[in-house]
Amino acid sequence: MSIDWITVAAQVVNFLVLVWLLKRFLYRPILDGIDAREAEIADRMAEAVEAGEKARATEGQYRDQLASLHANEATMADRALRKARDERDVLLANAHARLEQERQDWNAHLAEEGRKYTAELHQAGAGALMSLTRKALDDLADETLEERIVAHVATRLRPMSVDLRKAAGADAEAIATTHNRLPKAARDRLKADLQEVIPDVPMRFETDATQAPGLILRMGGAQVAWTVDAYIDELDALLEEQLAAGGGVRGQGDGH
Amino acid sequence: MELTSDSTIVFEAWGIPVNSTIVNTWIIMVLLTGASMLITRKLRPDVPPNRWRTMLEVIVQGIQSQIQEITIRPARHLLYFAGTLFLFIATSNLLLVVPGFHPPTASLSTTAALALAVLVAVPLFGITSRGFGGYLKTYIEPSVIMLPFNIISEFTRGISLAIRLYGNIMSGAVIAAILLGVAPFFFPVVMDMLGLLTGLVQAYIFAILATVYISSATADPHPTKSEKETT
Repeated sequence: MSIDWITVAAQVVNFLVLVWLLKRFLYRPILDGIDAREAEIADRMAEAVEAGEKARATEGQYRDQLASLHANEATMADRALRKARDERDVLLANAHARLEQERQDWNAHLAEEGRKYTAELHQAGAGALMSLTRKALDDLADETLEERIVAHVATRLRPMSVDLRKAAGADAEAIATTHNRLPKAARDRLKADLQEVIPDVPMRFETDATQAPGLILRMGGAQVAWTVDAYIDELDALLEEQLAAGGGVRGQGDGH
Repeated sequence: MELTSDSTIVFEAWGIPVNSTIVNTWIIMVLLTGASMLITRKLRPDVPPNRWRTMLEVIVQGIQSQIQEITIRPARHLLYFAGTLFLFIATSNLLLVVPGFHPPTASLSTTAALALAVLVAVPLFGITSRGFGGYLKTYIEPSVIMLPFNIISEFTRGISLAIRLYGNIMSGAVIAAILLGVAPFFFPVVMDMLGLLTGLVQAYIFAILATVYISSATADPHPTKSEKETT
């Protein structure tokens, strides 16, 4: 066991050279590589954390937008529902108004038709009554209906002479209105009868198609008249009475 | 039978005899440097490490973690020094199994050179860390009476490092050679396997002791509270 000092010196140098070589070709590259990889991993971790934060922020934004959309959706649906209800109410009100208007129109139409029918019935009844009365007078008394009407009015003139004079005043005029023009004989007789009751009173004859058959003599605010209206009214009452009685009989018959 | 390869002269250069120990050391240096150059020549951060590079990273990081466990202030220079000690001694001892190869660590000259390197490195690291005055002060601590003992301790540490490594490796090589002559097959294989284990353990012990010596030389004599908690 001996020490060779030249070998010792050489080995010291060799060791120092080996330290330098390994430092140059082993430790530095390996440690730098590890450091670079660790730095890269740290960077990626930081990027991942940043990306995660961004993703969370974006997720929060989208959640807010989604919640807002849901809220708007509910509001819009509520608004649309309310609008639809309002429109439905308006349409229903319009329909009800239109129905009411149509019902009123229909009632008015029915009333008008009834009125027309009644007027026609009155006219027809009056015509029939005048025709029958004229025929009966001609057959039984050999007189015209107009002469009998004039005679009837003349008869009613005498008891009312005082009232007629008061109503006529100083410059009164007598106006005789008929449905059809009176024959000349009837006019002359009426004029003569009036002159007997109220002398020197001017007289004028008029026709009115809307007036019921008959004669109306006016002096100022007073008048003496005979028309078939009263008879027609009586005829209507009679018909209604008969109809009512027929309905009752039918009802009783139905009851039996 | 030669106990050391120092006496085997391989060639002479400019009148200086180059023995087998130096040549074998060169071989180990070429092996270590060549392997390192081959593995780390195309080292890029964006390229994933292959198995060889991973092996080197494991070795280097293993050495680094061992140093971090020992010293409070791990430094790259300590890694270079202690790591090279370990790699050189371990490679040298592992080449014991190669027939005809005499490990340089089986030579007392080599182990003495390594011990001398440690002996010089300890004050160098200490002065670098504490300053010249600070380092010299460690020789008179805890009192001036301890100065001769500290100086003796410094030298005996180096001698013990050298003798321990030399004795273990040389004895393993000698025993293997003797057993090869007595029982040519079975016992030499067992002894060589045992020698591999012993060689690695001795490399570890040598590097760790060197790190401990350097660490004690660079350690703060009055550590702060956080440093105490760390240790």
